[in-house]
Order: sequence, then structure tokens, then C-alpha cells
Amino acid sequence: MRLKSNSNINGRLWGWDPPLKSSYDAVIIGGGLHGLATAYFLARHHGMSRVAVIEKRYIGFGGSGRNTAIVRANQRTQENLPLYKEALEMWPVLTRELDFNLMFYNCGNLNLAHSEAALKAMRLQVASAQIYGIQSQLVDPEQCKTLIPALDISDRPRYPIYGGMYHPPGGIVRHDAVVWGLAKGAARKGIHIHQGTEVTGIGVKNQKIVSVETDKGKINTSRVLNAAGGYSAALSYQMLGIRLPISVLTIQAMVTQPLKPLLNHVVSSGAYHCYANQTLKGEIATGAHMDPWPNYTNQSTARYIKHQAEAVTEFLPCLKGVKFMRIWGGLADMTPDMAPIIYGNDPIKGYYIDCGWGYFGFKSCLVTGKYMAKFMADGTCPNILKPFTLRRFEQHRLMGETAAVVNYSPDN
Amino acid sequence: MAFTITCPVCGIRRGYEFRFGGEDKGPMPPEESLASETWCEYVHMNNCIAGIQKEWWFHRDGCGSWFTIYRDTTTNQQVENR
Amino acid sequence: MKRLNQLPTFRIQYGKELSVNFGQKRCRGLEGDTIASALYANDVRIFGRSLKYHRPRGLYSLDGECSNTMMAVDGIPNVRAENTPAVDGMNIKAQNVFGKTPDFDMMRFMDELSWAMPAGFYYQTLHKPSRIWPLAIKHIRKAAGLGILSPDFHMRGKFDESYISTDVCVIGGGPAGMCAALSAADQGLRVVLLENRPWLGGYFEYRPREYQKGVPLYQRARELAESVGHTPNIRTFKNTAMIGSYHNNLITAFQRGNKSDIFTERYLEIRAGSVVVATGCIERPLLFENNERPGVMQIGCAHRLARNWGLLPGKRAAFSVGHDLGLEAAIDLADLGLDIACVADIRQDSYDSNLAAELEKRNIPFLPGWVAIRAHGSKTVNAVTLSSINATRRRKLSCDTVVASAGMTPVTGPVILPGGKLTYDNHTGFFLPATIPPQMHVAGRLLGLDDPFAIETSGLLAGLKAAADCGKPVENNLKEMAKNQATLPGPTRGTKLVTGPVKGKETFICFDEDCTLKNINQAMHRGFDVPELIKRFTSAGTGPGQGGIPGHNLPMYVAETGESPDRNPKPTTVRPPLVPVYLATYAGSNHDMSKRTPMHDSQVKAGGKMERIGVWNRARRFSSDTSARKEIENVRNNVGLLDGSTLGKFRIFGSDALKALQRVYVSDMSKVAEGKVKYSAMCNEDGCLMDDGIVVKIDENDYYMTASTGRAGQTIEWIRYHTRYDGWNFHMVNLTDAYGVINMAGPNARKVLEKVTDADVSNEAFPFAGYREFLIQNMPVRAMRLGFVGELSYELHVLSSYMQSIWDLLEITGKEFGIQKFGLEAQNILRMEKGHVIIGSESEQRTTIHDLGLGFLWYRNKPEAKTVGAFALKDTEHQKGRLKLVGFKMKESGTRVPKDGSPLVDSRIRGYVCTARYSWALKEPIGMALVDDDLCGEGTTLNIYEDGCKGKLLSAKVVSMPFYDPDGKQMRC
Ligand SMILES: Cc1cc2nc3c(=O)[nH]c(=O)nc-3n(C[C@H](O)[C@H](O)[C@H](O)COP(=O)(O)OP(=O)(O)OC[C@H]3O[C@@H](n4cnc5c(N)ncnc54)[C@H](O)[C@@H]3O)c2cc1C
Ligand SMILES: [Zn+2]
Repeated sequence: MRLKSNSNINGRLWGWDPPLKSSYDAVIIGGGLHGLATAYFLARHHGMSRVAVIEKRYIGFGGSGRNTAIVRANQRTQENLPLYKEALEMWPVLTRELDFNLMFYNCGNLNLAHSEAALKAMRLQVASAQIYGIQSQLVDPEQCKTLIPALDISDRPRYPIYGGMYHPPGGIVRHDAVVWGLAKGAARKGIHIHQGTEVTGIGVKNQKIVSVETDKGKINTSRVLNAAGGYSAALSYQMLGIRLPISVLTIQAMVTQPLKPLLNHVVSSGAYHCYANQTLKGEIATGAHMDPWPNYTNQSTARYIKHQAEAVTEFLPCLKGVKFMRIWGGLADMTPDMAPIIYGNDPIKGYYIDCGWGYFGFKSCLVTGKYMAKFMADGTCPNILKPFTLRRFEQHRLMGETAAVVNYSPDN
Repeated sequence: MAFTITCPVCGIRRGYEFRFGGEDKGPMPPEESLASETWCEYVHMNNCIAGIQKEWWFHRDGCGSWFTIYRDTTTNQQVENR
Repeated sequence: MKRLNQLPTFRIQYGKELSVNFGQKRCRGLEGDTIASALYANDVRIFGRSLKYHRPRGLYSLDGECSNTMMAVDGIPNVRAENTPAVDGMNIKAQNVFGKTPDFDMMRFMDELSWAMPAGFYYQTLHKPSRIWPLAIKHIRKAAGLGILSPDFHMRGKFDESYISTDVCVIGGGPAGMCAALSAADQGLRVVLLENRPWLGGYFEYRPREYQKGVPLYQRARELAESVGHTPNIRTFKNTAMIGSYHNNLITAFQRGNKSDIFTERYLEIRAGSVVVATGCIERPLLFENNERPGVMQIGCAHRLARNWGLLPGKRAAFSVGHDLGLEAAIDLADLGLDIACVADIRQDSYDSNLAAELEKRNIPFLPGWVAIRAHGSKTVNAVTLSSINATRRRKLSCDTVVASAGMTPVTGPVILPGGKLTYDNHTGFFLPATIPPQMHVAGRLLGLDDPFAIETSGLLAGLKAAADCGKPVENNLKEMAKNQATLPGPTRGTKLVTGPVKGKETFICFDEDCTLKNINQAMHRGFDVPELIKRFTSAGTGPGQGGIPGHNLPMYVAETGESPDRNPKPTTVRPPLVPVYLATYAGSNHDMSKRTPMHDSQVKAGGKMERIGVWNRARRFSSDTSARKEIENVRNNVGLLDGSTLGKFRIFGSDALKALQRVYVSDMSKVAEGKVKYSAMCNEDGCLMDDGIVVKIDENDYYMTASTGRAGQTIEWIRYHTRYDGWNFHMVNLTDAYGVINMAGPNARKVLEKVTDADVSNEAFPFAGYREFLIQNMPVRAMRLGFVGELSYELHVLSSYMQSIWDLLEITGKEFGIQKFGLEAQNILRMEKGHVIIGSESEQRTTIHDLGLGFLWYRNKPEAKTVGAFALKDTEHQKGRLKLVGFKMKESGTRVPKDGSPLVDSRIRGYVCTARYSWALKEPIGMALVDDDLCGEGTTLNIYEDGCKGKLLSAKVVSMPFYDPDGKQMRC
């Protein structure tokens, strides 16, 4: 235990460093957004505060501290739409609840179509969103230009702009703020956050969770949530022998030097594999693609930053005059259908999984935490999470979030 | 990361010439012996080892052969053998 | 301001004048000036305003360590004036200035408000009440960012790229780097040498201090540069910033072009057998109040300003330093005419006493154990307060320049990026590489060396180590050189002090983000106790200069305060690019790689509207009529020609070729009969449709097969993947580009073909699904009778070089039969009328062949080879709750065509329209949709929800397919 003499404990956002107790009602592996949100809601909605969040480095070390924090609710399928809709509505609510500014910047998202086929795909997405009461509309190239004056809507680009999908309720959030805000909220409710502590094993007896081993000691518990992000599949296999349909890839993002306001919306393009938005600090953040082979390096690649410059300047040519100042990578736990795996109590009672978020895990964290907490408190899966079952793969029922074949599977 | 792969036919080449083809899981078990779960284990499930794994690669911009290598997924470097 | 008399170290040329416009002011400069030196020569001291507090900022460094001199140049924002050459006529503007000139900024009151903005200000405020946040965002956005970029800005210039393979790559063209390059080159190796400045010489280049009797360091630098220049196997890239370093010795860099170069900037990617990092040191900023006020600058900045550009930094300077370089600079600058108020040195001892004696000789007060704690002056410096380190004594001196530097810090980015690890070294006070990636070596000042001979020797040694990596037998030379090195002085003991006895308020640890020591303290009090988190919470080190200013001091400071759980200082992460790079430069020539069919030019000439489809350019239509009605009707009534060359085409042969086909195709491929085409599909393990195509048997164990356009790139890979454990004997050849394809379709197709070939192409001799090889005017063709568009049609596979001739011949001959070109849009409707699917259009990643009604293709009893996807096909054959493909027509006649992609709904979403078009043949709208299986019965109503319909649905009903010619008479006749 470390208690600092010279600092004000109350001033510390997530309190003092608690002692690692020998037993908790639930142990959450991973101090990322999904782990922290679940912990927070366990305490807030279910009165469970004898809960530990175990984080091997520091909170937000994983994808949660590395993403570009784009949020939107215009998903493709009806299994996803209500979840992401609720997720989007939670940012202002949680800002109030946590008394911490999550900096939800509701700038709206514009997704560009560069072919008839892309427009058709967007029509499905737009209409589906509208059916679920989510604001989304198709726009023509001129309207795209009005939204983002820097766009080149001429015939010059390799893939000219045919139109777009505009989704006003989306935007960006400050990812660090969400990590810290949730940690603050959870700690205030008595949850123990153990940074610098690594889970090294999970104890099972009679197909039931009984304990969690850490490098700082053993914890008795009957419930454990695997929310270890990029490490979740390795952990599940190594500690429990349960394999997951996941490929861990390093996804990269980068920012330019800060500029005065230039992009007023998030803009993205499937054909060019990239998105760009301007953060509140003025940097143009851009990313999306990844090297399609599994690795745990978090390293960026020479190929990618070049690719990104080529791609983004095709439809936003003025950005040629801006400089990249930083690129980084983070792990993305990709599934074969680009939808997460949310599951529990099978085949081991008390073992819960919340992973496979790929590059969707930021926008979904609050809502998933809320329902995951319910799942862990009651032991039964809430309806809204049921479609994300691990069993869908053996049942040949992949989710339709992506229509196309993904580029990291043997199929491509 | 700018790793290189040694192709058994062409020798050491830039990693981007190749395409990843999954963890080495051995040949598909005979159909008759499979149940949905075991089929799924073989087709979809991965070990996701953070460390050295045996895996398939295809020399797409080269000789066009599939071969296996050992690679440390934590450093993204091809290694000699386990 | 008057320049100094000619010095041998000058980089400017007297007599060659230029001028630049700074706002309204015209500034005269000389050839060789940077923008900053030109402005400085014209008495510009305030170069811009800081991000948050709008504090005045001036020249502080010369190699881009901080962003004080970022300016807008010719419409390009954030250009670093300090290392950008001045060009005659440039238009230069200060940034983040609210007012006419940077000397007066209407937002300067922000500085007074800094107390109200503690670290993490935004996180903890501005959300209560919630309605103020959206308003606050507007203001935050306006205030954030430095430069302005116009949305229609056009980047001028030529951007190039170059991929270089070399034996040894040396990063850094200082003495160590040059020596490394020379010693590696001496072994007969190819060497690439990268130097960021426009000239070689680094640490020696501007210094008059003696190297050897009668030889000043600058002269030695020039001698080395000359040797490098005369060594043919060293390729030197000056003006070249190394930006990335990756595994297996991949180095990226970019080069700024000179007037004589054909490029403005060029991106470089270098793969080396071995890498030597000789990047030296930058200065570690000294932290005191107002430590970034214009007039405060680093030692190298003050010294090189005079030595390279002939400009004394001011009239009277106070020095507060922690390295002998500071003493040396003070002496030289005094000799050049600068009035030196005093030289305070953090070090009580361990300075070079000879230098101290030289100071004394010049009557310059030397104060060991003293440090600057505050700079005075509201816009520029007018005085400085010094204090003894133990805070017992103080002194205020008037001056217009404060030369301040706490010590040195090595540039280790190239070592860390590919995985090197740093540890804190107590002797040098540096974070030094503890582990270095394989085939990488470090040399020179970055190790803490200061002695010129030690630096050079370390370079020679590194060059030899690199030679050893490249297989040169240099063991003996290595031993010798290591022995030499041991006799020379080792690393200098460095200073550790970060700050004198100051309050943290206006003491800036990071200039770019206006982050003070007080902000760091606040972050630590909030529980952010590791540097990486402090960095995030306070933004220190995340600005345009990245870690250049705070990189070393932040972890040192945190370790010093004892707040961190970890007493070992740990540097924060360094990320590429090590120097900011234009997107234009990364994009390089941005060469568009796409493929054209042999018919490309003639299709364009005929008015074809071309589109990029995957890697190909293809014609969608041949008129502006988007419905392509004429093209469609002509195929149905006369005959049309489609360029199908993009189709994947392969030869597969060998004793096990059939087994391979059996593996990947779902049908029984042993039934492929001579003279016949066999249509089949490939599935993935999930039973989902991946590809379809035809197979013909050319000979025993020799087949010709096609793949869809989008899949052709992966076909060989796919087949080899699914047979990778079998060791079968077969070979594949990709003939996609070797053959073109002409699809001639329509009731008159045979009439045209008969006229151009002697072969018997009657329906009896060449029936539907037949395959024939014959000549058209001596040109061999492979002909197949297929029915994708539902008419009598011939798919002619023709060697690419004959394509144009045969196409032209068909067009001329077919004129009397009404032959016309048709494009993809016409084909799309024609095939839809036949109920044929296009992968990706009527199928998703999760659509099985059962779902598409193609289950009949699957043959479940193949004896030898298991079929890819067979297990899932069995499992899903009767599975409920899947999306199935159906045809539909509108319920009420006269209803318009629903839009592609529209969902089908009742109380929930039940599927969606894949493709729907008006059928000219049927005179009504038709379409295909993927729907829940309980809706696929004929006659079932489908409610179509179009985007923006506000609940007004269109009604359709399921009908059987094909829509057109259900018995297939047209294509069989
Ligand atoms: C570059 C990038 C851009 C992205 N952009 C977006 C975006 O715009 N929008 C969006 O919605 N999503 C985005 N994402 C995805 C999103 O960041 C992730 O899906 C999300 O952060 C996952 O959160 P998590 O809590 O599941 O995992 P993580 O944040 O990865 O947290 C897992 C934690 O578990 C810890 N851990 C692992 N093993 C152990 C162990 N044995 N013991 C203890 N602790 C352990 C790790 O240290 C880590 O902190 C992006 C991701 C990246 C990398
Ligand atoms: Zn090869």
C-alpha cells in the first residue's frame, strides 16, 4: 500500500491506492473503458461495491487511451442500433452523473460514398437508423461540400464523391476524460482500482470461478469479467483454455499539428479506408486501416502513415499543407463479423466476457458497462446483449455489421 | 514495424509482400468426426498467443507459395524455431 | 541590425540579397538566411503568440526543438521559421495573434487569467450547467490551434519518393556520423549518410575552439565533410530529416529540395544492413520564471546565430548554463563584440577551468553554483534575476538576452522507435540506450562524449561494427579501435538540475502547450503520478514540438518531487515522425495504380463512362442516360458487345488438379466434360458464397477456369490455401491479363459470329454450355456459350494482343445486325431479369449458397476430397431464421422502383432490397431482396421503407425468378 504524505487524498481523482483484499464479490480484469464502466454500474445500479478492477499498467493503457473517440449510432443492423443509440445518449448524462466533463463534442459525422454500391449500402444504414429513431440522412456531393468545405467533390480524385451519409447526433468525445471520469465515479462508490497489478491466473472449481491470481496476491471471488481488450483472447485461452474467435491487430491513428477550425464534422471514407476529424485541440486526427496480421506490438508502421497521407489528401487536398506530428498504435480485438462478444456463465459459471470490440469499443463503453453490470449482478443476459453471444459462430449466424469479407480472415 | 519474412523459395523479403493466413491448426479434421462446436473450434477459434506461434503466410507478391514460420507476436519478428 | 564582418563559419553570402514580407514589413536578408535569421536581422523579436495565454514568443532554438517560430508562410501554416530557408518574396505571418502584429495581441489578458485554468481545467469545469458546454466548445475551438489553413489551399511543388537499399545507414552528419560513414565506406560498403541541416559538421561545424594545434573545430568539420564528399560509396543526403526507424533496419526520412533539385520535398525509405545512430544532443531547457520570454535562448542558438548568420543575439547577455559549451559560447561571443553581463553555471565545479580562466581574462563575471530564476520584461527581456542554487543569494542584472540551458540531452529517438530501451544514467544524467536493436550502433555525443577525438573515434568504431554486421572481417580493426577509444576521455558528467529555486507559476516546462511547473504539480495532486499520465492530463509534450522541450525535464521533475510510485525517472514515449512532415511529402508522387483492359482506349473514345471497380477501370454506360435503356434493349433485340476482360482466368494442371478443383468448388468437378463448360461456386468454411465461375477441361489433367473480377487476385492463393496440407501435384497460372474477354450477346449473336469464322457455330455444333476453340481470321479464340444476360451469347476469350482486332471485326461485321456496345449498368439489369446474382450485391459475408437458392450446385458425396464449406452447408441446409434471396415486383402497377438498399419492415427490419430496376423487357419494376425466410413464399407482401419516407411504405410482393424468359429458351436457341 502506498499512501502519500504530501498529497491531498481527497483531491486525487480516483482516491488513494486501496489495499488488495483477499476477496471481492467480483473481479474485473482490465482497467479500460469496458472494465471501468462495468465496475461503475455495478456499484451504481446494483449496490455492488466490493468489486476490484485489476489493471496491469495504468488505467487507459490499452485501446481506451489510444482511440480517436469517434462516437455514432448509425450502425448497420437492428441488433446493434438500439445499443449504440442508447450509448450516444449517455455522454451528457454521465458527464452530469460523474461531475466530470467528458467533452462530448456533438459535431456530427459525414460518411462519404465513392460508388453506387456504397450509396446503396448507405441507404440501408440511413433508413435503418431512421426506423430506430436515429437521425441520419443521405446527402449529395454539394451538400457534402457545404458540410466540409475542404472536400474535393470534382472528378479529379481516384474515387470521386458520389454522396454521403450525414449523422448529426454523432461526434467525438475526449477518451482520457471518460477513463478518468469513470475511475473517479467508481472509486467514489467504493470500487477498488488496482493499477500496476497483473492477473496471472483464474481459479476454477467444478466449472465455477473461485479465485483470481495476481502478481500481488490471490483474490477469492465467484465472478470475474474478462475485459482485457486486446489481451482478452490470450488471457481466456491461457488461463481457462477457452478459445475465442479473435484476431489481435495493431490499429493506428495519427494527428497533425494543431490548426484553427477547418473540419466541422467527422468525415470518413470507406473507399479510402480513412477518417478524419478535428479535435478540440485543433489537431486533425485520422486513421482507420491496419496491417492485417496479428501482433501485440502497439507499434506504428512506415507503410501506414504514408498510406494515410495518400488517402486523406485525395479527398481533402488542402491537408497536403499540414504536417503529421504523431502516430501511434493500439491493439484491436477483431472478430470475424466485426461485432463484439458478450457472454457469460458458459461453460464456466461466473466467467464473463466482454471483448472483441475491434474499433467500436469506445462508442459502446458506457452502454455495455451498464448492461454488463446487470448481467453480472443477475446472472442472466439482458436481451439487448443477447445477439452478441459467443455461440453465434458455431451456429453459423455471423452478425451483419460488415457486409463485406474482412481483410484479416483467411477468406480474404 | 517493418518486418521481413524469409520465404523458403525467395529468401528474405519485406513483410508487405506476404499475406497472413492464420495460426497453424493442422489439417481440418474429417467431416464425419465433427460437431458444430468442434468445427467452430477449428474454423473460428484462435489461441492468440502473445509470444511465439507457428503460422501460415503466403508470398503474394512473389513466388505464390504458402509456408509456415514461427513469429513472436509481441515483437513481430520471425524467429528461428520454438 | 548590422551583421558581423565575414567569418569562415558563415552560411550567408554577402552581396546576394533577398527580401521577405513579414506582415506589412519588408525585411532584407541574405542568401543563406533562414526565415528566422532574416527576420532577426530586421529586429524582429516576437515571432508569434503562444497557444493558451498568448504570451509573446521568440527565437529560442535553431533546429526546431520548440514551436516558438512557427509561422504562416505563403499560406502554409505552422512553418518552422528557424530552419526554413528564406526565399525572395516570401509572405510571412505570425500566428495566433489577435491584432495587427505579434507585438500587440488583444488576447494577452489570457496570461493574467492563467490562475483560472489549472491543469485539466476543461475536464473539471465547463459542464455545469450542461448548456454552457456547447457554447464553450465554440470558444475553445477558436482559441485552439495555431495556424490557419484555407479549405481551398493548394499545395504547390513536386513531391517525390525514393526507396534505397544500402549496406550502412548513418543518421547524423556530425563528426561521429561522418567518421562512421568513412570507416564503413573504407571497408568497401555502400553507405547512406543523413543530415538534417543543410551542411555536414554538426557539433564541430560552427565552433572556433581548437581541435589540434592551429586547426579549429570548424575547419576539422570541413575537412571531414570534404573526405565524405570525395568518397564515392558514401551517398550523402543533406537537408534530410530522419523521421522513422523500424524493425529490421528500415529508416524513413524526408529531404527538402534545393533550388537545383527536381523535388520540393522527397520521402525516403532506406533498408540498411546496419544502422549507426550519431544524432548527438540537443539542449535541455532551464526552467525559471518567464523562461520562454523573447530574448531567452539556448546556447547553440545564440552562438550559431553569430557564427553562421553574423547576428549577435542582442547587446548585453546574461548566461545561465550547465555545460562547458555555454562558457565557450560566452567567450566567443564576447570576442565577437557581445557585452556579457555574467556567466552563471549550475555546476559548482566540474566545469573546464581553462574556460573559466578565459572568462576571467575578459572580465566576465563567472558564477559557479548560480542559476537564473526569473526573466523580466513584458514583451522582451530587459533583466534577469539570478540566484545561488541554495537560494541564499540573489542578483538582478539588466540585459536584453538570456542564454539559458540546463545541460544536454541525447537524441535517442532512432534507437527507441524500433524497440531500444532507455535507462537513466547517473553519470551523464542522460536517458541512455540500455538495449539497442540488432544491427544498430550508437556513436558520438549522444553517449555523453564531449572530447573531439573521443567523438570521432566512437564514430570510427561504430562504422567498423556496422561493417562487421555486413559480413566484413574487421575483428582486428575493431579491437584496435576499441583500445584507442579506451585511452580517450569518456562521457562527461552531466547536470541534473531541472529548476533553480523558483515558484512554478510562470515557469514553462512545455512551451507549445503553455504548460507550467504549477500545472504539473496540480496534476500530481490529482493523482496523476506517472509521467505518461501527467503528459495526457496537462498536454505537456503533445504539441507540435512533441517532446523536444519537456522530454527530458518532465520525468526528471516528477522523479525529483517524489510523487511518483517509481523513483527511477522514466521518459515518456517517443513516437514517429521524429520531425513533423507534410502530408504532401508522405503522399509523395501518390501514384495511382489501376488496370486497364485491352479495350480501354476504344471504350473511352466511344463515350464510355469509366469507373474504378476494384483495381480495374470499366465502362458503366455509353450514354448519359443512367438507365442504359438503349443498351439493354439492343441486347434483347439485336446484339451487344461487352468488354469482360476483367474476369479472372486461370489454367490449373497437373495430376492432382482435379482434386484441387473438387476441394474448392462445391459441385462434382469430375463431371466436367470435354467440350462443355461447368458452372459452379466456391464457398468459405461457413458455406458462404465467395466466388463463382466456369471450368472447362482443355486436356487430361488440364483445366481452364474463370473467377469473378473482384476475386481474381486471390484465386490462386485460395486454392493453394485450402490444399496446403495435402502436398498435391498441380500448378496454376494466372491468365487474367493474358486473355481478354468479349461477351457477344443477343438474338443476332450467331449471325455475327458465323460471318467471321469458318467454324461451325450452329446450335447443333456449338450448343448452350458448350466450349469450342476455333480461329477468327487466324486468331485463336476460346469460345463458350453462357447465359448471364439471358440471351444467345458467346463469351470469347481472346489473347490480349488480338482483342482490339477481333472486337473491331465483330463491330464492323455486326453493323448490319445492329451491334452496339453495352456497359456494366446494362449488364446489371439484364442479369437481374434473369435472377442471376452478383457477389456482394445480392450476397453478404454471411450469405450461404442455400440462402441464394444455389444449393443445387452442392454435391455432397465427393469420394476423395472434402469440400471447403461442406460442413456448414450441411448444418445450415434447413436452418431457420436466415436471410434468403427472393425476387419481387411492386404490388400495384404504376409504383416506381424502390431504391437499392432500402430495408423491408413490419414491426422490425426484415431484410432489404439488393437491386431493383425498371425492366424494359417486362415493362415494370423488378427487384431482388434478401428477406427473413418466413417471408420468402411467393405472394408474400414486402413493405419497403425508403430513407426519408417518414413511414410511407412501398408495397411489393414476392415472385418467382427468373423474371425474364423463365425457361431459358432465349439463351439456348
Ligand atoms: C488507434 C485506435 C483508434 C480507435 N478509434 C476508435 C473510435 O474512434 N471509436 C470507437 O468506438 N473505438 C475506437 N477504438 C477502439 C476502442 O479504443 C477499443 O475498442 C476500446 O478501448 C476497448 O476498451 P476495453 O476496455 O475493452 O479494452 P482496453 O482499453 O484495451 O483495456 C484493457 C486493459 O486490460 C489490461 N490488461 C490486459 N491484460 C491484463 C492482465 N493480465 N491483468 C490486468 N490487466 C490486464 C490492459 O493493460 C488494458 O488497460 C480505437 C482503437 C484504437 C487502438
Ligand atoms: Zn516466395
